[in-house]
Amino acid sequence: MSNIEIAFAMLGLMLLLIYTGMHVAVALTLLSFIGVWLIRGDAAIASNLLAQAASDSIASHIFGVVPLFVLMGFLVAIADIGRDSFEVANQIFRRLKGGLGIATVAANAVFAAITGISIASAAVFTRVAVPEMLRFGYKPRFAVGVVAGSSVLGMLIPPSLLMILYGFLSEQSVGSLFLAGVIPGILLAVAYSAYIVTASFLAPDYVGGQRDAEFGAPPLSLGAIVARIFPIAGLILLVLGGIYGGWFTATDGGAVGALGALIIALWRRKLTWAKLWQVLVETGHVTVAVSFLIIAANIFTRMLAMSGMPQYLVQVMATAEFGFYGFLTVYVLLILLLGTIIDSSSIMLIVLPLMLPVASSFGVDLIWFGVITVVAVEIGLLTPPFGLSVYVTKSTLNDPSISLGDIFSGTMPFALIMLLVLLILIIFPKLSLMFI
Amino acid sequence: MGENDLDINKTKGESPAVPGGYGKPQPMGFHRFTGVLNAIGSLWIIALMILINSDIIGREFFGAPVRGVTELISLSIVGIVFLQLAHTLWVGRFTRAEVLIGRLLQRGACAGYLLLSFFHFIGAALLAVIFYASLPLFLQALDIGEYVGAAGDFTVPTWPVRFIVLLGSACTSLTFLFLALNNIRQAFRGRR
Repeated sequence: MSNIEIAFAMLGLMLLLIYTGMHVAVALTLLSFIGVWLIRGDAAIASNLLAQAASDSIASHIFGVVPLFVLMGFLVAIADIGRDSFEVANQIFRRLKGGLGIATVAANAVFAAITGISIASAAVFTRVAVPEMLRFGYKPRFAVGVVAGSSVLGMLIPPSLLMILYGFLSEQSVGSLFLAGVIPGILLAVAYSAYIVTASFLAPDYVGGQRDAEFGAPPLSLGAIVARIFPIAGLILLVLGGIYGGWFTATDGGAVGALGALIIALWRRKLTWAKLWQVLVETGHVTVAVSFLIIAANIFTRMLAMSGMPQYLVQVMATAEFGFYGFLTVYVLLILLLGTIIDSSSIMLIVLPLMLPVASSFGVDLIWFGVITVVAVEIGLLTPPFGLSVYVTKSTLNDPSISLGDIFSGTMPFALIMLLVLLILIIFPKLSLMFI
Repeated sequence: MGENDLDINKTKGESPAVPGGYGKPQPMGFHRFTGVLNAIGSLWIIALMILINSDIIGREFFGAPVRGVTELISLSIVGIVFLQLAHTLWVGRFTRAEVLIGRLLQRGACAGYLLLSFFHFIGAALLAVIFYASLPLFLQALDIGEYVGAAGDFTVPTWPVRFIVLLGSACTSLTFLFLALNNIRQAFRGRR
C-alpha cells in the first residue's frame, strides 16, 4: 500500500469507528498510531509521536484561553446575567408581534458577547425564556425552537470557543477571528428576528402568543434597566475592550472575564461553595474533553503530513479544475453531514487538518474561511439525530409533554435560516472581513 | 464546542444520562483517587485565573509584571488536562457519537456493551502506549534538569508536569480498563 492509500484507509476506518460510537479522540489517536506505524514501519516512532503530542501540542500560552473562557461562560450563566438581558430586551420589544421571541434572540446575541459556548446559552435561555413564552400562549414547539435556534449565536459572536479552536488549527489570530464573527452574528440575529415577525403575521397558529404587552410584567423603571445592563455591559467592555484596546491577549481577556463574572456572581449572592465547586469541575471536564480532542487532532495532522495526503489532495483539486467554489460546496456538505452525528469541535478537528492545506492552496482568506467553517459547523448543533443544542434544551426543559421531535421540528426553520446566512457570507466575504 | 457541557444550575441526577456504565464505583475506590486529582486540577484553574489577573494588575498599574507567567500558563494547561483526564472519562464526558451505540445501549443489548467494552480496551491500550513513551521524556527531564523560561531570569523545571502526564495517562488507562471490564459484566447480566 502506498502512503496515500494508507491515509485514505485510516480516514475511512476512522469515520466508521466514530459512527459506531468510539470516543472521537480515541479513534483519531488509534488510527494515527496505526497509520504512522504502517508508513514508517516502526511502532517506536509511532508511540514516540503520541507521547510528544500528548505533552507538547497543548503546552502553549494561548491554550490558557480554553479553561478561562469556559469558566467565564459558566459563571455568567449562574450569575443570572442571561435573565437580565432577556428582561431588558423584552422591555424593548414588548410592543411588537412576536416580541418575546425577538427578545429571546436579542438577549441571546448580547449574552453571546460574554459567553463562548452555545450550550451555556441554550441552557440559560431554556430556563429563562421558554416558561415566559409558554405563559403568553406561544406554542411550545415554536418557543423551544427559538431558544435552541438562537443559542448558536453564542459561538459566533465573540468570544467563541469554536473560533479559538479554529485559530489553533489554522494558526490565525484569535483576536481577528473574534472580530470577523461580529457582523455575521448580528446578521444571523436580524434574520432570525425577521423570521419571527413574519411567522407571527403569516402563521399565527404556528407561533401562538398574544400581544405580549397587554399581559406582560409592569414596565421596568429606568433604574432597574440600568441595574440589569450594567454588569453585562461592564463585562463586554472589560474583556473585548481590553483585547482590542491592545491591553491584553485573548488569554488575559479570559482571566479578567472569569474574575469579573465571579465577582458579579458573588455580589449577587448566586454562588454557594457547592455551586462554585460544581462550576470548577464542569469547567475542568469541558476543558479536558476539548484538549484531548486537540491532542488527538494534532497527532492526526502529523500522520496526514507524513502520508503526503494533503499535498495529494491539493494536486487533485488543481488538476481536476474543481475550482474553489466546487471545493467549498463539497466542504460545506461534508461538515453538514458530520454535523448530524458528532459535535462541533470534533468536526473541526477531523476536517480541518485535511482541508486547511487545500483551502490555503486556493489562496483564500483563512479568517473568512474560519467564519464559513464555524457557521457550517454550528448548523450541526440543530440538525437531527444528533443536535447538541436541542439535546441541552430538552434536558434543561425537563417537560415530558415536549418531545425531542417537537424541538427538532421547531428548530428546523432556524437551521434553514443559518444555511441562508451561510450562503450570504460565502457570496459576500466583506461581511466577515470588514473590521480586519 | 467540545461541549457535552451540561447545565450547572440543575440539581444532581437530572443531567443527561450517558449510557454505558459511567460514574459507577471502581475497584479499590480508584474513582476516588482520580476524583482527588480532578479536584487539584480544578483548584489549579482558579490559581491560573488569579495568577494572570495579578500579572495584568501588576504590569498595567504598577509597571511590575509577574515573572514567567507565559511559561507557567503553558505548563499549567498540560498539568490541568492530565490531572483531570481520568475523571472526565469516568463521568462519561469524552466526546463520542451516540447515534448507533446510544440506541444499542438503550435497548440494553448485549452487543452494545461488548462493542463499548472493545472501545474501552482500545483506549486503555493507547493510554498505556502514551505512558510508556512518555516515561523516557520524564526521566530525561529529571536527568538534564530541563526547564522552560530564560536562564537567569525566570525558569521552571519541566519534570513535575512530565510526571503529571505519566500519572494522568496511567490513571486514564486504568479507568478505561475498569470501564471495559464493567461493560463485559453488564453485557452478560442481560437487561439492566
